Amino acid sequence: MNATNANFLTRHDFLIRRLHSLTGLVPVGCYMVVHLLVNSSLMNGPGAFQTNVNQIHSLGRALPLVEWLFIFLPLIFHAVIGVWIIRSGKTNTDQYRYLNNWRYTLQRWTGVVAIIFIFFHVFHLHGWFHGEWWLENVARPWGMANFKPYNAASTLATALQGFLWPIFYFVGIVCCVFHLANGIWTMGITWGVWTSDRAQKGASIVCCIGGIGLLIVGLSALSAAITTDVQQARNVEDAMYKLRVDTGEIVDNPEKRYHAPESLGDSTEEASPDEDVSE
Amino acid sequence: MSSPTHAEPVVHARPHKINVRILRQDGPGQPSYWERHQVDYEENMNIISVLQRIASQAMTVEGKKVTPVAWDCGCLEEVCGACTMVINGRVRQSCSALVDRLLKEHATEIELRPMSKFPVIRDLMVDRKRMFETLKRVEAWVPVDGYDDMGPGPKLSRAQQEENYPLSECMTCGCCVEACPQYTKIEVHRRPGETDDQYDQRKRETYAQGFVGAAAISQAVLFNSHPTGANIANERMAVLTGTGGVQDCGNAQNCVAVCPKKIPLTRSIARAGRAATLYALKRIFDH
Repeated sequence: MNATNANFLTRHDFLIRRLHSLTGLVPVGCYMVVHLLVNSSLMNGPGAFQTNVNQIHSLGRALPLVEWLFIFLPLIFHAVIGVWIIRSGKTNTDQYRYLNNWRYTLQRWTGVVAIIFIFFHVFHLHGWFHGEWWLENVARPWGMANFKPYNAASTLATALQGFLWPIFYFVGIVCCVFHLANGIWTMGITWGVWTSDRAQKGASIVCCIGGIGLLIVGLSALSAAITTDVQQARNVEDAMYKLRVDTGEIVDNPEKRYHAPESLGDSTEEASPDEDVSE
Repeated sequence: MSSPTHAEPVVHARPHKINVRILRQDGPGQPSYWERHQVDYEENMNIISVLQRIASQAMTVEGKKVTPVAWDCGCLEEVCGACTMVINGRVRQSCSALVDRLLKEHATEIELRPMSKFPVIRDLMVDRKRMFETLKRVEAWVPVDGYDDMGPGPKLSRAQQEENYPLSECMTCGCCVEACPQYTKIEVHRRPGETDDQYDQRKRETYAQGFVGAAAISQAVLFNSHPTGANIANERMAVLTGTGGVQDCGNAQNCVAVCPKKIPLTRSIARAGRAATLYALKRIFDH
């Protein structure tokens, strides 16, 4: 970071840190809660999950705008400023081993893990950019951009096969949930919402319970994704796709669907009847 | 003092000698080095009396003649803050750090280091000027300058008095900022040919870029809640929302854990945070 940038950040220290604090809750934290809740609907089967995904994708052309304006940009801002904040301090848990000091250090570590996790998570499933050149030459050759919104559960379950990705997602979810729950508590002090000892203790309990609740939701979604039967899910999704396109609830868009690799011969049969619909 | 004397721990096997490891430094900007000293055990010693013995011996445990270890002290009853140093890894006053207790924590040795967040003057003496400059910046006083009789001061409610009193116990010792992970050391070295005034000016400007720290935040809160002190509340808030203001707090809460006066610093920081929120909104909408 050069001197001009550092000066800009120091001069607008208050505004930038308060915006950092705010974006952590709105929209980033709120988005995460909605995201995990939607994902946990997979516990009720691929159909329930697909209905929620369809709801989101009914935004159609506005979706990338919403994604960038309300999710990616605030998230990137929160991450960049977060790294700057981490660099402005120096952890000392080896010397002062207090629980609250550990929380300070963990807030920073989970933040860094969350940045790495979210970067790869979005790349892994979403691909970051929708451009065909990007997807064909960068994302897919690296085994990324695996999620197909109109085959939500099946493509998700396929992407999470093996044991490395589930571990990666487990660690990511745990860190993100801790970062949000602890972040809301410290936010209450930053903004002066809870000032008395009693209020701070009460808020700790609420944040702790909320965090555990959200962790259960998040991990349920993960376990549901891992245990989903891909073929069964795909049949449900393809049947739903036909129906929803017929009734005009979703826009016909083959790019948002799963296409079996052509070389697999027989197995393409299963997906091919639906491709007729998409033409 | 906060700890009652009748609760002194009984050290069963009293040692004959006390080993002391000291992080020394010959002057500002000089490299630091460890030195080992040994003094005879006496009953009811504190770190000040250990340091007095060490200074009079002026000899390391290896028998090497050295300059006396320099340290600072004042009141000897934990109200001035001058003798604050890092003892066995934890910042505290050396006058109230009792040897019997320290030997219970760590039986073989006592480790003394100067505070790490301030420029070292020599050995265990540091320059806490940054803290005092910050108190000046947040105008930690009741502004009643002038020759005219202003009459009796405004009454404070009992509840307000009880809330303010603990904050007034702050002695600017530096424990809170020493333990704070967000408060980082700022040391300004003198340039060749620089006059005292120029050097002081440059120090003030550089210190003003750093975090104000818990002590100054708490003092700003104290004087903002005083009826007359509140006359310049906005000036204090301008500093607390400026560069290095209350927003730099990272909520590690070490300040409140190490404060020798048990000042509710997290509470002060939260109150300052609320005042900062309101002040910032006022600046946007009432401008």
